[in-house]
Amino acid sequence: MDILASFPEQVSELVNEFLAPAMIGTDTFGLTQYIFWMCVAIVVLFLIIWAARNRESLVPRGRFINGFEFVVEFVRNDVIKATLGKTADKHAPFLLTIFFFILVNNVIGVIPGCKPGTGTIGVTFALALYSFIYFIVVAVKKMGGLGYIKSFAPAGVGFPMNVLVGIIEAFSTFLRLITLAVRLFANMFAGHICLGSFALLTSLFFTALISAGNFLGIASIAWLAILVVIYAVEIVVAAIQAYVFAMLSAVYIQLAEADAH
Amino acid sequence: MSIRNGVSPKAAALLASAAVVATPALAWAEEAAESGPGMSILIPKPAEFIPALIAFAIIWYLLAKFAWPMFVGILDKRQETIKNNLDEAEAAKIEAQRVLEEYKQQIADARREAAGIVDEARHAGEQVKADITAQAQVQADEMIAKAKKTIEKEKIAAVADLQKSVADLSVSVAGRLIGEDLSDENQRKLIEKYIAEAGTLNAN
Repeated sequence: MDILASFPEQVSELVNEFLAPAMIGTDTFGLTQYIFWMCVAIVVLFLIIWAARNRESLVPRGRFINGFEFVVEFVRNDVIKATLGKTADKHAPFLLTIFFFILVNNVIGVIPGCKPGTGTIGVTFALALYSFIYFIVVAVKKMGGLGYIKSFAPAGVGFPMNVLVGIIEAFSTFLRLITLAVRLFANMFAGHICLGSFALLTSLFFTALISAGNFLGIASIAWLAILVVIYAVEIVVAAIQAYVFAMLSAVYIQLAEADAH
Repeated sequence: MSIRNGVSPKAAALLASAAVVATPALAWAEEAAESGPGMSILIPKPAEFIPALIAFAIIWYLLAKFAWPMFVGILDKRQETIKNNLDEAEAAKIEAQRVLEEYKQQIADARREAAGIVDEARHAGEQVKADITAQAQVQADEMIAKAKKTIEKEKIAAVADLQKSVADLSVSVAGRLIGEDLSDENQRKLIEKYIAEAGTLNAN
């Protein structure tokens, strides 16, 4: 198995490439590859929105605007309205923005040579923070600051216990921020490491077959097949993670609005 | 009271276990931070976190102001338009159905009426035919009667004529035979009388 001799080294190189330091400046103040790709995604997002705005009419004409509207309708009906009901229209701009921002970033990341802006915790944490603050603001508007804090402790539970349950509840609420950020980041990051690993395996075995005449190299076909399957899965994951993030944000907002206990 | 006493130790155990879980996790985080990647990938970098924070705020503001209201508005408007059009189409369909029923009724009425008219006309025709036939019959009868009368008259005239001729002839024949002129008025009357007798006998 000398074909695989250099595999661990190359994988660690691959991982390091994903963790590469800032292209310009430092990690504290500079431009990292993820921010670069996030900016690309933002430009693409604005182009899509601009193109859609120009083609928008009461009677939709063409595949682009129909496809775009299908996605907007899907998020609006199946995610926002289905979860929030009456207040859907109030929260739709935020949730639609979240969904499209993540979707475009994720999809751009699937293109070979590109990276998803959502492939770093810095970006996903910022998004999660918006979602987190958003539902807290909704809750505080509804119940007042003190009312919201009180709502963590279930009514009808005695003194020492309600404080304890309240702390656990508050902690689990805070965890939403972490889970939102880590879920999206980890999915994108792991997906790309996975894609990269199988791409490495394919190229290692293929090189062995061509240059060294090692017939084990035929396995590169299998690695390629797996790579293609993972690629398909990654495209689906890109959409699903945008959906999950928007859906959970909607659910948190709904919980904040419904919290009357 | 019993519930409180029952749950309290459990919650305490939970806290304790949380502490136990947290300690190695923290230790691992420190260790990872020292040995390069690992936990550090879960710590947001300011160079990524801050631009993302600002970028999203701008996008949110721009899209919420210029994009979503327009798209959502047009989607709602389209939905409303389609719904109205469907309602109108439904109403038009019901109206059309009603008009169709009405027309069908009218056609059925007209057909029935036409059938009545045709029936009446046929009846009238038959009546006229019968009248004409009857009239023709009457005329024919009249003509036949008249003809019969004429024939009768002619017959009588012919017979009279014949009687006269026979009388004349007889007188002349008798005159020749007996050499005596029978043209005397009395004799002639006598002969005519005989012939008339013979004629009646014949006629009988």
